[in-house]
Amino acid sequence: MDSSLTWTQPGPWPMATIDVPLDGADERALVDACLAGRREAFDLIVERHRRTVYQLCYRFVANHEDASDLTQDVFVRAYRGLRNFRGQSSLGTWLYRIGVNVCLNRVSARTLPTEPIADRQFIDQDDDTGSDRLLRKERQARVRAAIAQLPRKQRATLILRIYREMSHQEIADALGSSVGAVKANIFHALGNLRKLLGSEGL
Amino acid sequence: MHLTPEEFVDAAEGTRSESSLPHLADCDRCRRELADLRRTMTVAADAEVPEPSPLFWDHLSARIGERIDAESDRSWWQAWIRPRVLVPLSAAAVLVLIVTLAPRSPSARVVVPVGPAPTVAVEPPNDSADLAADPLLTLVSDLSASMDLDSVSAAGFADPDSAEHAVTHMNTDELTALKQLLQAEMTRSGA
Repeated sequence: MDSSLTWTQPGPWPMATIDVPLDGADERALVDACLAGRREAFDLIVERHRRTVYQLCYRFVANHEDASDLTQDVFVRAYRGLRNFRGQSSLGTWLYRIGVNVCLNRVSARTLPTEPIADRQFIDQDDDTGSDRLLRKERQARVRAAIAQLPRKQRATLILRIYREMSHQEIADALGSSVGAVKANIFHALGNLRKLLGSEGL
Repeated sequence: MHLTPEEFVDAAEGTRSESSLPHLADCDRCRRELADLRRTMTVAADAEVPEPSPLFWDHLSARIGERIDAESDRSWWQAWIRPRVLVPLSAAAVLVLIVTLAPRSPSARVVVPVGPAPTVAVEPPNDSADLAADPLLTLVSDLSASMDLDSVSAAGFADPDSAEHAVTHMNTDELTALKQLLQAEMTRSGA
């Protein structure tokens, strides 16, 4: 893969051509390289953001297969709409927004299976560190599955607030709602999560 | 009056102090609700996404690349069936068809004789002025000026052997008429 990016530096002196490794290129340069037909630039974008996008998708669906499919959808859609990226937000935020839309569309289309949760009660076993770790993993799986069962707006709001740490206003902008609606969704999402988890899940 | 959802969320997230919500000091129910909200937020924040196998990331990138390549290929031929391309293309095809099927010389027409003696009637070009004034024929003539039979044949609109086929399948009377027509045309042009 050709990993260098070439552009012409403007200036009063004769036009100079500078070779910059594509690996070190910033987001704008990568986007421009993609738009100029450099597919390997998009490969780098994927490489940089795939984990974040996958984690977002996983939080929506709580299973690996669908999260993988959704992640692919997000990047394919991003590639298609790369010309619309204006650079007003970071590329990561732009991709995250696409991810939220893709996930919201998908989860509204059908009910997705969540990862299997061991059918056992959560028992406090502070004296056993090995069990502690196992129990923590099980509890995390149960929480992820419960989040994936929330109504889609509540789910999206909770994910953006807790895991992306977006402000209420940013979430409102991303979801096309108001700050008041965002706060109400967080409140109801947490209430529903509590019900789904039960007292022993907390 | 109990706290609103907004007040609960602000208090749970710490953007609003409890002291600014005097109702909390008097209401056990709202205090419990607030404590539950905070605990649920903590539990939710602790739920990490399990890390997939290291091989998965390369597989994922490869799949994305394949889908983008497939999409690029599809968009190439899909571009051809878009109306803005298809309509002019169809119009051009119709024009080529008209040019191909139209008589080469509108001033002369062969009339195959029915009677015993073959006769050839060459219609006088008395309508040539009308034909020249016909805008549709002028358009066709202009458009077809740069076309050759090979291009038309390559486009699939005419069999390159069709003229030869027509001649070789003529009967004796038709061949005689054609011969006389050619001789008359050669005499007229002085060849």
